[in-house]
Amino acid sequence: MTLPSAYTEAPVRRFARGDRVRVKQTHPPGHRRTPYYIRGKPGVIERVCGAFANPEELAYGFDGEPKRVLYRVRFRQRDVWPHYTGPQSDYLELEIYEHWLEAA
Amino acid sequence: MSDAKRPHDMGGEEGGPIDTVDHGMKFWEKQANALRNTLTSRKLVRLDELRRAAEDLGARYYELEYFERTTEALRSVLIEHGFFTPEELARKIADVRRRYDAA
Amino acid sequence: MKHHDHSHDRSFDEGAPSEYEIMSRAIQELLEEKGVITSEQVRQRMEQFDADFPYRGPRVIAHAWVDAAFRARLLEDGKRACAEFGVDLEADRLIAVENTPDVHNVIVCTLCSCYPRALLGMPPSWYKSENYRRRVVREPRAVLREFGTVIAEQVSVRVHDSNADMRYVVVPMRPAGTEGWSEERLAGIITRDALVGVTLPKA
Repeated sequence: MTLPSAYTEAPVRRFARGDRVRVKQTHPPGHRRTPYYIRGKPGVIERVCGAFANPEELAYGFDGEPKRVLYRVRFRQRDVWPHYTGPQSDYLELEIYEHWLEAA
Repeated sequence: MSDAKRPHDMGGEEGGPIDTVDHGMKFWEKQANALRNTLTSRKLVRLDELRRAAEDLGARYYELEYFERTTEALRSVLIEHGFFTPEELARKIADVRRRYDAA
Repeated sequence: MKHHDHSHDRSFDEGAPSEYEIMSRAIQELLEEKGVITSEQVRQRMEQFDADFPYRGPRVIAHAWVDAAFRARLLEDGKRACAEFGVDLEADRLIAVENTPDVHNVIVCTLCSCYPRALLGMPPSWYKSENYRRRVVREPRAVLREFGTVIAEQVSVRVHDSNADMRYVVVPMRPAGTEGWSEERLAGIITRDALVGVTLPKA
């Protein structure tokens, strides 16, 4: 019996761990899982989570296929908030879908 | 306006002190949570749909408490899926209210 | 705890029912009448959230404190390690993040209130609050101070916004003074606040 995993397969993907990326600066209406505050910010791929049905489609009763690749992306707090007063080594980590990312 | 940030998308906004005490949940809230979970685990509604319906509350998002929002969202999505009509629900609500008033 | 079949018992709540309490019960009754769900299914779920889920997180973390190989597997794949330990996380895709002398982790869901419910039960009211969701991503150290937790400047604070499909749990550092403790005793000092990173376990 195979045990369940937190991750799924994502054999076809644009990015790998360590790649520098930027979240797209776009504000489409509707259900999105990319928070406003992170749009346009630069980060680094921390891990590949897998491929999942697109929540932006599931939210409206569609099946969300084809699946989209989801990454965990690490951002320096100082790159996200202009007036961040904490140390340089403070980070924010979010899950961003591939279609929200561009190479940086 | 499509680039307006919606109320639920609140990360990074200014905010006041946090009430760090856990106020727990009322019985009806625990039941509402279990109801929601029973429906999503059976895939009768999707969590993504419920989130979207809560987000669509717009300005009302801040007027309602957490389980009030989830109840409104559940109502919307169940009607969308045709589980019941608004009229059926209104009749049942009146019925439940009568029973509480009589008790 | 009493269980009533028709589930409109309010013996634990005081005052008149709110509009939303009535709506929620009406929705449930309508769905039961239409055969979509049963009151027993809902009751069982309530029971799990009260009596089962909240106790799992501390047990899993206590085991990770005691068993280094399990800890490594938990950090590699949280869902798989829990399953191996006999904890079925259902839909939750768990990622465990460890606190070290150099790193302190904090969890939030800014968009709604995602939380690893099948591991920790229901989130506390402050986790769902607007001020936590607004502020912890931008000023985590100030927020942690409100919980009485001070993180030194040389320790990196990492905030995880569980904004999509994954769920998170913090593996806190095991406090000094707990040498030789049983897993059960260790689980007793692991609070769900520590598993979200706003407090530190104390011996």
